[in-house]
Amino acid sequence: MMRRYNVLYFFQQAFKGLWRNGLMTLAAITVLLSCLVLMGSFSLLVYNVNVNIEEVAQLNEIVVIVDYEATDAEVEALNAHINSLDNIEKITFVSKEEGLESERSRYEEYSYLFEEIAEDNPLPDVFKITYEDNSGAANLVYQLKQLDHVSKVNNRTDIANDIESIKSGVSFIFIWFLVILFVISIFIIINTIKLGVESRSREISAMRYIGATNFFMMTPFIIEGIIIGLISSAIGYLIQSILYNAIYDTMSNNYKMIAVAPLSDVQSYLILGFVIIGVVAGVLGSAISLRKYMKV
Amino acid sequence: MIEFNDVTKIFPNGTVALENVNLKIEDGEFVFIVGASGAGKSTLMRLLLREEQVTSGTLRVGDYDLTKIPNYKIPYYRRQLGMVFQDFRLFDKKTVYENVAFAMRVIGEPTSVIKRRVPTILSIVGLVDKYKNFPSELSGGEQQRVALARALANNPRIIIADEPTANIDPKMKMEIMNLLVKINSKGKTVIVVTHEKNIVDYFQKRVVTIRDGHVVDDRIGGMFEDDETV
Repeated sequence: MMRRYNVLYFFQQAFKGLWRNGLMTLAAITVLLSCLVLMGSFSLLVYNVNVNIEEVAQLNEIVVIVDYEATDAEVEALNAHINSLDNIEKITFVSKEEGLESERSRYEEYSYLFEEIAEDNPLPDVFKITYEDNSGAANLVYQLKQLDHVSKVNNRTDIANDIESIKSGVSFIFIWFLVILFVISIFIIINTIKLGVESRSREISAMRYIGATNFFMMTPFIIEGIIIGLISSAIGYLIQSILYNAIYDTMSNNYKMIAVAPLSDVQSYLILGFVIIGVVAGVLGSAISLRKYMKV
Repeated sequence: MIEFNDVTKIFPNGTVALENVNLKIEDGEFVFIVGASGAGKSTLMRLLLREEQVTSGTLRVGDYDLTKIPNYKIPYYRRQLGMVFQDFRLFDKKTVYENVAFAMRVIGEPTSVIKRRVPTILSIVGLVDKYKNFPSELSGGEQQRVALARALANNPRIIIADEPTANIDPKMKMEIMNLLVKINSKGKTVIVVTHEKNIVDYFQKRVVTIRDGHVVDDRIGGMFEDDETV
């Protein structure tokens, strides 16, 4: 006959188990939070590398210089053409007049020079285009060059390609490093929890003879895993934030060349990542440790 | 009823532990199972507990056919059995009360039922006044009585005792056996695996003798036969 188990009982057992095997609990928490802090630090490092790469150069910009002689209608037609192309994120039209004004404010001390050329503005109309996908940039440049009334197309896709490959290389290493760290933490947790489970193997075998279901036997251990995961992620996050803020303060004060993102930018992802990885590692560790005791 | 029909158990390494065993135990019977070490008694017990599966033949316990029972039903089947071991297998960190209560907790009994039933069971085995003690504070005989109380907690139909008097002093041995007889008189089937000739001879119950994986003798009011004379 199926009966409903008392949920409170499972939690009581889990906390008792954690307390009774205090040293093992401490070991599991220490191992897991170390791995979490390691993973967190690496993730933050990669995030900041990416922030800096993007900050170094706004490279996804193409400048289309319009024929000086083009009429307003022709410029309008060119605008429509550019708009119809794929892989375009944003188009900004800078007219001759706006260009001159922009240069004037940039070189304010030589404003008298601009007075002289105002009547005969030598600057062309310009379209500043940013694109979405770097891999399609070369194609976009080619298409732009084919359009009527385009005098010249300036771009830095070659540098953009280099940076893109650095970014994907960093991401590749990052993902593998995370996977390896995750596997290592699971492995250590399995062994730590296994010691706790084995110290209670007599208890588990007696439970089986009494007629305990696998669910009844496993649940307190799984809850233990969840608790270990949650405690580890909470302490891990605390350590991570203290470390990161200290680095952030030092970098912001002394090394202004390097941009460091404030923790608040990534806080929610970091907390979510810690909790998910912590709990998954705790539960997996418990479940794998218990496997051999769950035979009939 | 427990029914072994042509039961053979061969282990993966080729050892034939039981061969063509036929044995029928009616509800409410008291049976001693005797035999030398390695005769096949333990295998018989393990088959009854459904820790091992029969290689051939059929084994039925009550409504359960143990040759066909799916894994998920095994815990429910085991709740019909009350197991008593020679090493007691009590939970060291639980009190007497908690040890008995735990057996009921395992099958999901509500706390109100547990609170009502545990003192009753403890009074049957004469340990009401020791309900707060831990197993380490009890004598061997008392520990075995706790184990017996735990076995009785879920009102099983069958009590299986594996060498229940092996680790207790002579005076207590008779107490434990008398308790088992008392439990049997309430209608429960009791199976006792033992080496102790004095006890078997004294109680004059049904004795099943196993040797080399075969049932070589089965008689009511039987005596413990030495290996040489069987």
